[in-house]
Amino acid sequence: MMKNEELILIIDDEVQIRRLLEITLSANGFRISEAATGKDGLIFASQQLPELIILDLGLPDLEGFEVLKRLREWYQKSIIILSVRNSEEDIIRALDNGANDYLTKPFRTGELLARIRVAIRQNKPHDADPRLEFGNLVIDLDKHLAYKNNEIIKLTSTEFSLLALLARNSGRVLTHQYILKEVWGMGQIEQTQYLRVFVAQIRKKIEDDPSKPTLLLTESGIGYRFGA
Amino acid sequence: MKRSIPFRKEKTLFIDYLAVFIVVVSVAAVCFLFKDTIGYRLVSFILLFVVSILALFFGTGPILLASALSAAVWDYFFIPPSFTLQIGETEDTLLLVMFFIVALLNGILTSRIRRQELNAREREERTLALYQLSKELLTANGLQEVVQVAGKYFRQYFYINRSVFLWESDGVLDVTPLNEGDQTTTDENKKIASWVYENSVKAGKYSENFSSSDGSFYPLRGSQKCLGVTCVWYTRALIPAEEQFMETILALVAGKVEREFLSAMAKDAYILSESDKLYKTLFNSISHELRIPVAAIMGATDTLLSDRYPEHTRKRLYLEMSQASVRLNRLIENLLNMSRLESGHLSPRPDWCDVQDLVNKVTSTLKQELSVYNFIQEIPGDMPLVYIDFGLTEQVLHNLILNATQYAPEGTTISVSFLYDKSGKLIFRVADCGKGFSPTDLNLLFNKFYRGEKAYSGGTGLGLSIVKGFVEAQGGTVTAANKADGGAVITVEIPVRISDMSENKEN
Repeated sequence: MMKNEELILIIDDEVQIRRLLEITLSANGFRISEAATGKDGLIFASQQLPELIILDLGLPDLEGFEVLKRLREWYQKSIIILSVRNSEEDIIRALDNGANDYLTKPFRTGELLARIRVAIRQNKPHDADPRLEFGNLVIDLDKHLAYKNNEIIKLTSTEFSLLALLARNSGRVLTHQYILKEVWGMGQIEQTQYLRVFVAQIRKKIEDDPSKPTLLLTESGIGYRFGA
Repeated sequence: MKRSIPFRKEKTLFIDYLAVFIVVVSVAAVCFLFKDTIGYRLVSFILLFVVSILALFFGTGPILLASALSAAVWDYFFIPPSFTLQIGETEDTLLLVMFFIVALLNGILTSRIRRQELNAREREERTLALYQLSKELLTANGLQEVVQVAGKYFRQYFYINRSVFLWESDGVLDVTPLNEGDQTTTDENKKIASWVYENSVKAGKYSENFSSSDGSFYPLRGSQKCLGVTCVWYTRALIPAEEQFMETILALVAGKVEREFLSAMAKDAYILSESDKLYKTLFNSISHELRIPVAAIMGATDTLLSDRYPEHTRKRLYLEMSQASVRLNRLIENLLNMSRLESGHLSPRPDWCDVQDLVNKVTSTLKQELSVYNFIQEIPGDMPLVYIDFGLTEQVLHNLILNATQYAPEGTTISVSFLYDKSGKLIFRVADCGKGFSPTDLNLLFNKFYRGEKAYSGGTGLGLSIVKGFVEAQGGTVTAANKADGGAVITVEIPVRISDMSENKEN
């Protein structure tokens, strides 16, 4: 296995969860630092500058959202929320407040590792390459073109903006609000039906089987995620 | 219904005297015209007759006037010599005295009989009113209706247009949202009401306590304690009989109120005992459901820790642990959903939803369970976006499909079909090819903790009651049936708005 040795800070008060994460993540080549409270977490983060932070929302001393807010005042790298709270409100709130991803407990470690890899990749400066490849789908951000099996897909400009936004953030959940703001501007922030219609149209053009999408995935009640 | 006259006219009006005067004078005038033919003695009988008739309609005062007037008229105009008060013959003097006395007695006696008859009629009316009231109270349902009935009787029998009922709740005496009448109560009035409530004594206007208040306050006395306070705004003071009538009405109302309170208490007690039963069922079923997977995990981990087993055995144990944890997690989800429903805090948050997304989400969660079935989904090509709560509906579909996978034999078909009904409903059906429901199942299926007659061991009986709760929270219905060729089918109908946005439209 390639040695990445990237440091991950785990802020979670449950010792069992920390142990499970420590075992799993170090077995996958990460270095681990652990904090049991929000305050410790904030200190460790500033001292150790981890590549990624895994943050629990239910901490004994500080509200998780508060920790998230304070971290985001200076911390640029990825934060993944790992919490038992599974309400859409909490998830959307965390994502809108700067979390890169959100996983609810209980979780599958395989899933967590995949999300960690995506999050760490997002820390790297963006590739200069304007061509994004997802299997047989290629998106050329410069030329505003998308190809499927080397054939140009006809996309309207809004469809392309939406696809490009999702593709640039591949692997990451984008909330409805965020997408609407980015693609349509502030005006139609509540108009999720636009989004649904455009997503359905894009799926028809890029997915092998639009009824079983593998690229443009729905995160129920929260938003969309592109690619695996 | 005849409108009764509760407030008897005790004061005789000037108009009564005038009427009596006119009648006596005009009768006398007519007699005067025929004086020569009928003779002056007959006139006395005619006047006596008139006074008796008048006594049927007028009170003592006017009758006194009628008697005196007719005696004087007879003397002055009829008894010879006419146009003097002098009486010629001695027997005429006697006749006049007797005339006056008879007219007076007659009038007064008739008037008294009339009054007694009136009293009797009033009593009868009140008895009837009380009978009516108790009948209406009997059928009244809930305090609200009791208050309305009482308000109606106040209006009808006392011309009270403003009345307020106050009950105690959580130690504070407060106004119930009432009938159409005035509901505002000043702090001063509330203070008096509290005093009345504590002392169980009448107060306010026309009473000994707080008589400066504008309303009159009556306690509603139950068999053990004061139940509440009624405040009414009279237009005038009551006579004792009316006061008594009022108190009787209030006693009837208080009786009904007490029964209402008791039935509410009984309901609370029932709910308490039901929740106790619920707790026991929950405890039995949950402790079983919790222990089994924990036992599996503990057993498997112990084995894995203590001995060196071949790789494939270890793998099987890992799988066992994985399945046990999925089962535990499912139970926890169900319990949390159930408590969300029970708490009453469940409010759907609808958003535009692509039905295909819904199916994809559920089938990906249940990928493993569905892998041994022939799963069919039918969604019409022109299915519009629907405005529903994604999370709740996802849970509904999840529970229905999961149920199907637990009861239908492996290798059979499980189908999910969606359609949008023009009447504004999203309809979806989950059908399997299992044994279907027994007749008992069909009745009890959606009850909490009910397990089907052919239920597999394990499971809490929560799944379908959660389905029902989540569907109903969105204003929908869920029904279960057996297919003609066997197998269960559950149909969910949820009223929805649909998007009017057509595809391929650039905004």
